[in-house]
Amino acid sequence: MTLEMLNYAIAWPEIFLLIMASLVLVVDVFLPDEKRNVTYVISQLSLIVTMAMIVMMSSNERIIAFNGVFVNDAFANVLKLFVVGIVAMVFVYSRRYLIERNIFKGEFYVLGLFGLLGMMVMISAHHFLSLYLGLELLSLSLYAMVAFHRDNANASEAAMKYFVLGAIASGMLLYGMSMVYGMTGTLNIEEVAKAISQQQEMNIVLVFGLVFMLIGVAFKLGAVPFHMWIPDVYQGAPTIVTSYIATAPKIAGFAMVMRLLVEGMGGLHADWQLMLVILSVLSMAIGNVVAIAQTNLKRMLAYSTISHVGFIMLGILSANNAGYSAAMFYTLTYALMSLGAFGIIMLLARAGFEADNLSDLKGLNQRSPWFAFMMLILMFSMAGVPPTVGFWAKLAVLKAVIDINMLWLALVAVFFSIIGVFYYLRIIKLMYFDDAEENAPLHNGRDMQVALSANGLAILALGIYPSSLMALCIAVFS
Amino acid sequence: MSFTEIVFYAFSAIMVVAALGVISARNPVHSALSLVLTFFATAAIWMLLEAEFLAITLVLVYVGAVMVLFLFVVMMLDINITQMRAGFMRFLPFGILVALILAVQMILVVGPANFGLDVAGFASPVEHAADYSNTKELGRVLYTDYVFPFEIAAVILLVAIVAAISLTMRRRPQTKYQTPGKQVMVKKEDRLRIIKMQTEEKQ
Amino acid sequence: MLENYLPVLIFMCVGLITGLVMILLGGFILAPRKPNAEKNSPYECGFEAFEDARLKFDIRYYLVAILFIIFDLEIAFLFPWAIVLEDIGIFGITAMGIFLGILVIGFIYEWKKGALEWE
Repeated sequence: MTLEMLNYAIAWPEIFLLIMASLVLVVDVFLPDEKRNVTYVISQLSLIVTMAMIVMMSSNERIIAFNGVFVNDAFANVLKLFVVGIVAMVFVYSRRYLIERNIFKGEFYVLGLFGLLGMMVMISAHHFLSLYLGLELLSLSLYAMVAFHRDNANASEAAMKYFVLGAIASGMLLYGMSMVYGMTGTLNIEEVAKAISQQQEMNIVLVFGLVFMLIGVAFKLGAVPFHMWIPDVYQGAPTIVTSYIATAPKIAGFAMVMRLLVEGMGGLHADWQLMLVILSVLSMAIGNVVAIAQTNLKRMLAYSTISHVGFIMLGILSANNAGYSAAMFYTLTYALMSLGAFGIIMLLARAGFEADNLSDLKGLNQRSPWFAFMMLILMFSMAGVPPTVGFWAKLAVLKAVIDINMLWLALVAVFFSIIGVFYYLRIIKLMYFDDAEENAPLHNGRDMQVALSANGLAILALGIYPSSLMALCIAVFS
Repeated sequence: MSFTEIVFYAFSAIMVVAALGVISARNPVHSALSLVLTFFATAAIWMLLEAEFLAITLVLVYVGAVMVLFLFVVMMLDINITQMRAGFMRFLPFGILVALILAVQMILVVGPANFGLDVAGFASPVEHAADYSNTKELGRVLYTDYVFPFEIAAVILLVAIVAAISLTMRRRPQTKYQTPGKQVMVKKEDRLRIIKMQTEEKQ
Repeated sequence: MLENYLPVLIFMCVGLITGLVMILLGGFILAPRKPNAEKNSPYECGFEAFEDARLKFDIRYYLVAILFIIFDLEIAFLFPWAIVLEDIGIFGITAMGIFLGILVIGFIYEWKKGALEWE
């Protein structure tokens, strides 16, 4: 065994990120409190360099490294680029928020970077073991980040629920993996796929393992009926942590589904298709209907996430390349929309006031027409109104479902998204037609305002020119 | 029945009973100690599978360290047991029903038949000779073929350190403690003030 | 290889039997045993017991325990490594070097944070 055999060079972005995260950790403990900005700047710089490395090293070739546990392909490159970029945006939003709450600590950035490393490992997983370890690295960082604001009882409760349910989900996932291992004798995703394709008749143990793996994945993504943790965690966690959880890990979760179900268990797609139909319909129904009853904005967005996960599953269950690229397009754009929506909440928040009730949005147009417009775009996009990108995302997954002759499923999806429009429009009504209850100026920093504007405009721009991102998503799967 | 089978069933029985003890004991400390017994029995079963390293690690790490932590947590939480058990009887029938369904499913799905073990004369894995070392076999692949997951495991441990410290450590500003260096360096002038004053008249 | 562990099994059986026999013989069969409520109640200098014997622990014990577990796990990884070091050579040393390096960073962090001090 030599170093060359590992082919480690394709993992340079991960290795660099690990080195930088460790560096941030060490530098941060030696810094006095008033120089915490240094931590922030190093974290941002390392994210930018990581992105540059991913771009420079991207190729359409599929390279396997580290003795078959790590893979780099076009799919991984695109997802990693988005994940790193989104985390960088979250960090931009975080600075002011953390300073105001007196929790501007280096640990937030360290845990954020390590969580990001976990996501990148998940995205590049070519082995059940690396997939699981990446997932645990991500989850462990997230649990700690949720409880990060220690004096907040809600956050501690949310972290506790998240931890217990997340541990159960990991257990389910591992149990399913062990069943698959028992049948195929390997944990390598490619070899699992090969072993499955050689099975002549239906193997009940494999399906049993598949069910458990799917439950684990559904837990992590938050699909009904495994969604219980989402509303509580989204609401209880500090908004900046919610915006981290609600965006990048969804992309990593999508990668996990693709690696596990499509690459690994592709031979059993007839089995998981039906399971995904059930999960998807339930998610769209419960998510959209329950969201109407919410008065807390973060909780409402949590239920909206659940419904969007249902839509993402629509694309995956089509089990063809068009469906996968539609689901990928949906996931990437959803992460952007959700980032913007939580960004608006943080823009309105200030020390001692979280701005997470629907009524806090009242009359936003009078206070800041520009950011009311940004929120309008985001809400339209989430509802799927043209010309925002959310429309194209919904259209693509619906088309994929219709193409496999499941018209009824597409109709159900449209029906529930129409129900969903109600609560998105209600926010717009609050912003434009109600009078402001308070007139405190939005006093966030310039960096945050620029990032948020870019975020909102990106949604609009992608809505007007969806073809470039769409072409990218299609190219990845061809 | 061979000797190893007898040992297997004996330890399995201990494990199941101890596991029942974990969830049914009234006192959380008893639960934690039952868990220790469960781990011991599991370690013995792993040993029967010739996974000696895992068996010893289970005793070393779980029994030795994790259980100590469990006991700390149990002590720390000060749980009101009667309150916790309030719903026990009410939910018991439902729980038993779910457990039964699960058990039936498990027997049907992961029974020996599905692994091809019911065929007469199915060969069990060859027993290794006395000089076989499972630890060695593990070490040969762990640090070479699986070096990537191995390093990720280190990162997970690092995150665990950061998470544990950032969540539980609190500086207590009101705590008073000695600084021996300062004590040694102290001069007479820092502590002692000599005041000149008139002697008072004797009364 | 299981025969190597037969002494361990015998040891466990002997330990179990010895322990059980002593408790049964001494506690239940030979010794007189006439318990009553007063005898069974906890003795606290003649007073009624004030509170539960279990006290709440300080969270600092927990921190020490969890840090111990993490480094205990690290040691567990060192055993197989030490056994096969001759076979895996420089590559194995590098792999373990990175592993320990990552944990040393954690150690620097906890040292500098003051998690190892009791105050």
